[in-house]
Amino acid sequence: MTVQITQVILNGVLLGGLYAAMAAGFSLVWGVLNIINIMQGSAVVLGSYAAYFAWRYTGLNPLLAIAVAGPLLFGVGWVLQRFLIQRVVAAPVLITLVFTFGLDLVLNNAMISFFSADYRKIEGVFPTAPLTFGALTLPVDRLLAAVVGIGAAFALHLYLHKSRLGRAIVAVRMDRQTAELMGVRVELIYAMTFGLGLAMAGIAGCLLAAIFPTSPLNSAHYLHIAFVACVLGGLGSVLGAVAGGLLLGIVESLGSLFVGAEYGTTVAAVILLLMLFTRPQGLMGRAGYE
Amino acid sequence: MNSRVLLAIAIAVIGAAACAGLPLILAGEPYLMRLVTMFSLLLVLAASWNIVGGFTGYPSFATGAFFGLGAYAAAILQARGLDWRLALIVAGIAGAVLAAPVGYGVLRLRGHYFAVASLMLGAILRELTTGWSDLTGGGMGLTVAGAGGDPERLAAFSLRISLALAVLTVLLGAAIKWSRLGFGLDCIRMNETAAAGIGVDAQKLKTYAFTLSSVTSAIAGGVYAGWIGYIDPTDVYDVMWSVKPIVAVLLGGVGTILGPIIGAALFVALEEIVWRNVLSFSSGGLGVLIVLLLLVLPAGVLPSLVSRKRRP
Amino acid sequence: MQRRELLVGMAATLVAPAIVRAQGAEELRIGAPLPLTGPLAPEGQKQKRGYDLWVKEVEKSGGFQIGDRRVPVRIIFSDYQSATPRAVQACDQLVTQQRVHALFSPFGSGAAKASSAIAERYRVPMIAPTASSREVYDQGFKYLFGTFTPNETLTEPLGDMVLAKAPTIKRVAIFSRNDLLPLALSAEMKKSAAKRNLELVFDEKFAIGSLDFASALTQMRGANPEWVFVGGYVNDLVQVRTQMRDLGLKPQVLTMIAGPAYEEFTQALHAAAENISSAAWWHPAVRYEGVDIFGRTESFVQKFQAMYSAVPDYIEASAAAAGAILQLAARKAGSLEGPALRDALASLDVMTFYGPISFGPTGQVERLLPPVFQIQGGKPVVLAPSSIAQGELRLGIA
Repeated sequence: MTVQITQVILNGVLLGGLYAAMAAGFSLVWGVLNIINIMQGSAVVLGSYAAYFAWRYTGLNPLLAIAVAGPLLFGVGWVLQRFLIQRVVAAPVLITLVFTFGLDLVLNNAMISFFSADYRKIEGVFPTAPLTFGALTLPVDRLLAAVVGIGAAFALHLYLHKSRLGRAIVAVRMDRQTAELMGVRVELIYAMTFGLGLAMAGIAGCLLAAIFPTSPLNSAHYLHIAFVACVLGGLGSVLGAVAGGLLLGIVESLGSLFVGAEYGTTVAAVILLLMLFTRPQGLMGRAGYE
Repeated sequence: MNSRVLLAIAIAVIGAAACAGLPLILAGEPYLMRLVTMFSLLLVLAASWNIVGGFTGYPSFATGAFFGLGAYAAAILQARGLDWRLALIVAGIAGAVLAAPVGYGVLRLRGHYFAVASLMLGAILRELTTGWSDLTGGGMGLTVAGAGGDPERLAAFSLRISLALAVLTVLLGAAIKWSRLGFGLDCIRMNETAAAGIGVDAQKLKTYAFTLSSVTSAIAGGVYAGWIGYIDPTDVYDVMWSVKPIVAVLLGGVGTILGPIIGAALFVALEEIVWRNVLSFSSGGLGVLIVLLLLVLPAGVLPSLVSRKRRP
Repeated sequence: MQRRELLVGMAATLVAPAIVRAQGAEELRIGAPLPLTGPLAPEGQKQKRGYDLWVKEVEKSGGFQIGDRRVPVRIIFSDYQSATPRAVQACDQLVTQQRVHALFSPFGSGAAKASSAIAERYRVPMIAPTASSREVYDQGFKYLFGTFTPNETLTEPLGDMVLAKAPTIKRVAIFSRNDLLPLALSAEMKKSAAKRNLELVFDEKFAIGSLDFASALTQMRGANPEWVFVGGYVNDLVQVRTQMRDLGLKPQVLTMIAGPAYEEFTQALHAAAENISSAAWWHPAVRYEGVDIFGRTESFVQKFQAMYSAVPDYIEASAAAAGAILQLAARKAGSLEGPALRDALASLDVMTFYGPISFGPTGQVERLLPPVFQIQGGKPVVLAPSSIAQGELRLGIA
């Protein structure tokens, strides 16, 4: 039984690395622009498609396709924010939520129109035999994807704290008005942040494409994951998103073992609700992100 | 007689006339009857949402959760032989039973957190419903006994009952808005902390609003189940049942009495036009509608038409 | 002021007259509501491909033969966005406003059942190419016909075959997607197992949209099953199989429905697909000589490949068959009137490219035997029915 549980926890950690990548950008956008980006799931799927087509036409390894998907999604995010989202960024929660919901409908359906809802799978890129340690097995593709995912999140974190632009973003997150007074061009920062958020989503999409089949139908599921991981870990904090993602992966896997595989979303949602009731700022975030 | 009473009477009279007369006028036009029934159901949900989202200012995405709950409650009871009237009442009670405690907890959250939590409700209920297949048929769905029979009689019946429910919900909304409860909710909407300062028991009032809103949403779900004859979790717990009412109210004017009516009518009309003419992009069309609406008319149609000083 | 103008513009568009089609020259109009968007879109597109191929064939031969005239055919599609109530609404609209002579049902058992009431009410025959559950046909309707056989016809032959090959097998594991069809199939599998006194050591469901099955499969591994049955759709099955391999789970027999029928399945799994057994309502490897517009199964497959550069699967074939069957019925009836068409359909007893077609009292097709097949050498090999068998069941998976 301990072997089983250890295997399950291990599975959860690997999943958690992916979840971390999915949540990091989402958390950043929520923290800085105070917008819940309902498009997150679809943005991840768009990244997956970028990886899929790059692989199909050039044989590029999806883990390397992040160099393609990242900038692509950054551009999309920048444009969306600058020309559309900026108009509603100061509006009440209801408006911004419904607005990004509408944008998501457009993006998701556009993907279905262009790419069809059929599942696309990348295959043959990674060795199929898993690594084994005694009775424990570790699939190679998941291991690599998790490592890259967590690495990307860390890279984002470093960028936010070491670079000028990054620190300006953090400043806006902490206190928008003061940052403005200090000469930070908030609109630019917003566009930058949203771009970064979608870029991370695109990267996460590449990682997912390496392991799972791609289809626009997955986007709601990915959005849920981003939500829960974010709230668990704490809004606005990229490291929090990593912690939240890992925790979510583990809890989900254990939940699947003990409660049943068909209750995955319920387990995640119940955790989310518990967290919101008891410690809304999450493990590592700061309070006040309503 | 002040204007409020006049308005209420007008709504009641027009509603009653429509309930009695429309099925006769539209007999032999099943498509139109279906359209009006959809409009009525959307109106119930829109007016219900308006209580929490409009009057109280809490952006709830839970409307669909209670809609689905009501659909299943009614379907399961009817499958066990319960009369449809009782089934609908029990569906409403089920909504209240779930809404009161859950609402009490969830309403302690604000803004984004509240929205996300309310959104999760539907997802949880959907999964629980799918998992409890002995009771609900799980992923295989549930055929609603007692539905069926002559499609035209069923259509007329569904039209009447959904329209009646819509009228009642709008009147309920008006009653709330013009009452002390409504006053309290308005204070909460404007500034909850200050409201607490003047003695408003915010938690209690919010819970009342949430519960009432959930009862009508649940009954709407019950009506829907009887109308369609077959329900499954992905259909009745679809997040669209939470989003469409919001868009309808946004169209018509948030926090007003007539807003949901105008908004629901506009929404159904627009949806039909887009559906008929743009074959494979209809949901995308809805997305475009939402984006345009929020950019151009964030306050809705009604407030744009009515002059400022008469805005309720 | 700008806002007022916008509103007036919107109002004007709303008032635009509805489109009404004139009753032109005689043609056979068929209504086909499909989920072209939403979660069921892939299946809706498959149905559409089948229909489009059939229509093209009819056009090539100059139309339908009805009595002594040749009549063109037109399918009127309507996207119901994977929402059952819209499907019902679409059927209604198609009958009352577009005045179709026949309906092809929406995808799946649930929507078909809900829509069949419309067909019955207006006495317009409806052919359901993708509804297999018996419950769909239990309302006593006379105007509903289905080309999928009941679900147990997929699991029973497998039960016989597996035990014939490996009589010592006792432990069965069932893992199913929590969705209409996979659940129905697993329920039948359970019955088939119980009938043969097999021991059910694992019986779980997975949520729709699950990406990760590791926990459940880890548990399944602990139960040490000899025959594993998995119900789901292609993407689920590919994932489950991959993770089974990752976890070293190797039963003697691995049966998966409904996915191995698709090329995507074998392409995604390569060697891991070997020896996976399955059953489907139709398979391109079957060989029938039909009297319908396609004739031989091979002709149908070739024509499909020419049009779409892909091998047809059972949904696409069933949809095309619906058209071909309707055509045969219309020719037999000599008329496009609902009741006449209906009676012709009910009394049909013909061989088609799809298989032998005759409809039972509930409207579901009855003499057809769904093929059981297994992936051998990277290709599906038909194991049953014996009249078209190409190979034998092999045990063990990679």
